[in-house]
Amino acid sequence: MPERILISPVTRIEGHAKISIYVDDSGQVDSAQFHVVEFRGFEKFCEGRPFHEMPALMARICGICPVSHVLASAKACDALLGVEIPPAAELLRRLMNYGQILQSHALSFFHLSSPDLLLGFDSEPARRNLFGLLEHDPDFARRGIRLRKFGQRIIELLGGKRIHPSWAVAGGVLEPMTAGARAEILTGVPEALESVRIALDRMKSLLDQFPDEAEHLGTFPSLFLGMVSESGGLEHYDGRIRISDAEGNVVAEGLDAQRYFTYIGEASEEFSYMKFPYYKPLGHPGGIYRVGPLARCNIATHAGTPLANRELREFKQRAAGGAVCQSFHYHLARLVEMLHCVEKIEEICSEPGILDERVRAQAGQNRTVGVGASEAPRGTLFHHYEVDETGLMKKANLIIATGQNNLAMNKAVEQAAKRFVNPARLTEGMLNRVEAAIRCYDPCLSCSTHALGRMPLEVEVRDRRGHLLDRRARG
Amino acid sequence: MTLIIAIGNTLRRDDGAAHRVVELLGEIPGARILTCHQLMPEMAEDIAAAGRVVFVDADVEPGTARLEPLAETAGWSALGGHSVGPAEVVALASKLYGFQGEAWLCRAPGEDFGDGTGLSAAAEENARQAAALLREYLVRQA
Repeated sequence: MPERILISPVTRIEGHAKISIYVDDSGQVDSAQFHVVEFRGFEKFCEGRPFHEMPALMARICGICPVSHVLASAKACDALLGVEIPPAAELLRRLMNYGQILQSHALSFFHLSSPDLLLGFDSEPARRNLFGLLEHDPDFARRGIRLRKFGQRIIELLGGKRIHPSWAVAGGVLEPMTAGARAEILTGVPEALESVRIALDRMKSLLDQFPDEAEHLGTFPSLFLGMVSESGGLEHYDGRIRISDAEGNVVAEGLDAQRYFTYIGEASEEFSYMKFPYYKPLGHPGGIYRVGPLARCNIATHAGTPLANRELREFKQRAAGGAVCQSFHYHLARLVEMLHCVEKIEEICSEPGILDERVRAQAGQNRTVGVGASEAPRGTLFHHYEVDETGLMKKANLIIATGQNNLAMNKAVEQAAKRFVNPARLTEGMLNRVEAAIRCYDPCLSCSTHALGRMPLEVEVRDRRGHLLDRRARG
Repeated sequence: MTLIIAIGNTLRRDDGAAHRVVELLGEIPGARILTCHQLMPEMAEDIAAAGRVVFVDADVEPGTARLEPLAETAGWSALGGHSVGPAEVVALASKLYGFQGEAWLCRAPGEDFGDGTGLSAAAEENARQAAALLREYLVRQA
């Protein structure tokens, strides 16, 4: 019987990772760890660059959610200028963010996670993907592909390209929206709404088929953190930070994203390149919190759009008296958000000022420190820049959504391993459920391992029984 | 209409050879050109809207440029989801949208796939050959 079971690579996530499952003397799962094994370096190599370059540089962190980084970066640059951007620019930034969240959530749900739900966690691994899905239900697969394309098209229409658009800049955006772009987006809304509705209904009908997974792929109490609107509703671009607990109590309200460092700390562990942010008042690891769709749906009192309002109310009924604590319900929360995104896309495109040509405030540098925050598909994203008097970057600190879920993902992996893995009789379906615990969070590991310099690089040498023979570490 | 899809990363030197191929090709009546870092399932719809598709890609195997019919996929990617190969995206176009046209693959071998921009001399020569092969093919189809 193995003492250490390794799942490497973890599949159907954004990036590269592995999971170690440790077995005790009685042959039972003792613990598990989620290792992020890729390595970036964005915080370091942007030092010395003019801050105006940052949005374009930061877009390169990720090919899935570049818009999130562009927006947080542009907002940090707005803060360095000390300007309020024109109303049309804010609308356009919001519109692109909704397009981004929609396409990213569609990728997560249709391409990566729905094969488990529609084909089964124990189905043949070679078929458990988008292509297996299209054999099983071509219309559903087609809708998923087209929904993602719709979100990407919004990004392309505004930013000129689907990936790495460097269109949001310090003080606003580079170009106003054309009437043709607005018309094209509005034309796509009805089909997008129909597709999300179909996916939502399908998901709700499937939930009862997976009671074990729903309860054991990461069900535990934690804090939930995210932005809320002025009225306490769903917010994805600019709002105060709210933190609530597993009972649904608001722990902190009205927090300023610019001062994130007063309530968020960052720890590191030897087994992963990804940092472990925590809520400072409760310390590490007691200050475990979750971000992203599940957190946003838990902390918001309402969605702010008619269809999503109804779905959010229904979602909240799944909570046993407080917050929805099952990580499995990230999938459902993601669909509620997709519905909200499509409604907001239509709403923003119908705003009278959306085609206004004044989309950029002009100013010189007025500050040496700027923090920008927005809600990325996977959760709250912070960019913190410090520049010298000439505008050259002295320091950057990025707090990434996936990193903020790191403590929770490790907890989820361990819970799933303990529930589903029988080390004496391993099956692929058991290990897939452990991976599925991670997929609930839709982690983006390219984003989350942006740091360079302080992360330990570790090589472990173990014998066949899993005993550690040697270890070399740096950092 | 022929859809030409140039695949590759121009920041990885010769991996961007396909972008150079379509630059050399210029605008061709009856052809639409798409450029991308990598293929995505969403492109199946674009392929289905065309009568035929030609993928242009760099090749890590040394040699000369060549244009050949695309072999059918032996099976779907086990990892599935993020990126697909030419045969897979054609199969998607066929399965989801009824595409039945020709599919070709044009390869431009390179030798330097490190970080940086610009092609090696060998890749530049192969890109020129590939553009010539493509032009000849498009003339035949016209």
